[in-house]
Amino acid sequence: MTASSFLRDADWRNKVLRDAFGRGFWGFFCFAVAMGAVCYAVKGEAVFRAALGSDLALVLQMLPRVVVALSIAALIWVMLPRERITALVGQEAGIAGLVIATLAGTVTPGGPSSAYALLAVLAASGADRGAMVAYITAWATLGMQRILVWDVPFMGAEFAILRILVSLPLPIIAGLIAQRLPLQLTIPAQSPNGGGRR
Amino acid sequence: MNIGFSLLFVILAILVVIAWRRKEDPSPILQRLIEQFANLVPRMLCALVAAGFIAELIPKDTIAGLLGQEAGLLAIPVAVATGLIVPAGPVIAFAIAAVFAKSGASTAALVTFVTSWSVFAAHRILIYELPLLGASFLRLRAASVLVVPVAAGCLSYLIGLLVPYGAATPLP
Repeated sequence: MTASSFLRDADWRNKVLRDAFGRGFWGFFCFAVAMGAVCYAVKGEAVFRAALGSDLALVLQMLPRVVVALSIAALIWVMLPRERITALVGQEAGIAGLVIATLAGTVTPGGPSSAYALLAVLAASGADRGAMVAYITAWATLGMQRILVWDVPFMGAEFAILRILVSLPLPIIAGLIAQRLPLQLTIPAQSPNGGGRR
Repeated sequence: MNIGFSLLFVILAILVVIAWRRKEDPSPILQRLIEQFANLVPRMLCALVAAGFIAELIPKDTIAGLLGQEAGLLAIPVAVATGLIVPAGPVIAFAIAAVFAKSGASTAALVTFVTSWSVFAAHRILIYELPLLGASFLRLRAASVLVVPVAAGCLSYLIGLLVPYGAATPLP
């Protein structure tokens, strides 16, 4: 098993190509072309050319940042097993539990599919409702991957740091509110792995 | 090379050293990187180009009036509502945020918009939250996080009164 054996897997290559240039991509592509056409029609050729020029310069500036950010995300994804995060949350009660849930949400790598799968596991294992709300709020507002891949390249490091600072207490506050709200919580009975039975 | 890029590089270097020390197998890391790159980058590029054209088309004065410095705290409810109605992933949300930033939206309004979108993104609720956790969890969570974007915006506004830090620097 060499380090790059997955590269020779034709199914995997096709799947990656489908992800990259499937229907979603062409939707975005057509949208960009349509916006360019509207811009040309409304604002004229000079503005269109200027916008296209600065767009392409922007794309060239973004690419290296995005490659670095995605490399970070991939390293975290592989080195930080998600089961370990689940085990952390739900062991402590009270404020300490909310703080741990917030930290766990912050470091959970990946997009919504991994974060919500984890949340479903937490729910099935009977975690505190405050911890669940704090966890998913922390993942949404403070998730490292979102900040590295999106905030920093798109909005700059200063903005990202400010947003982290103001967001730090918020998952805990949301968790405290969730613990006090008189709302019924019934989690649908299902295996979080999508197995259905059991 | 600016702070943001240097910061990313430092984090990457630290992680690579850790991975090296732990003798991690590079194959799954590389595989994940290629998958994520293929998934995100082609769409991201189209969205960026589209956002550049949209930035030329939308009335900047209107956005600056609603979300700009002069709107003060009033920009925050507007930004919460705007974040609520973006039913899409980060590609579109951040392209919109960058357009707002270029049109003169205040930092507090931008923080509010990004936070509101992060906690309420409708597509995520429909695809993941409702099927996996059910309507009662959504109700509980929505009621609990309603204050989150408002608090984020107000805190940024207060910080903005004290120090001129945190301005968004969207690429040109």
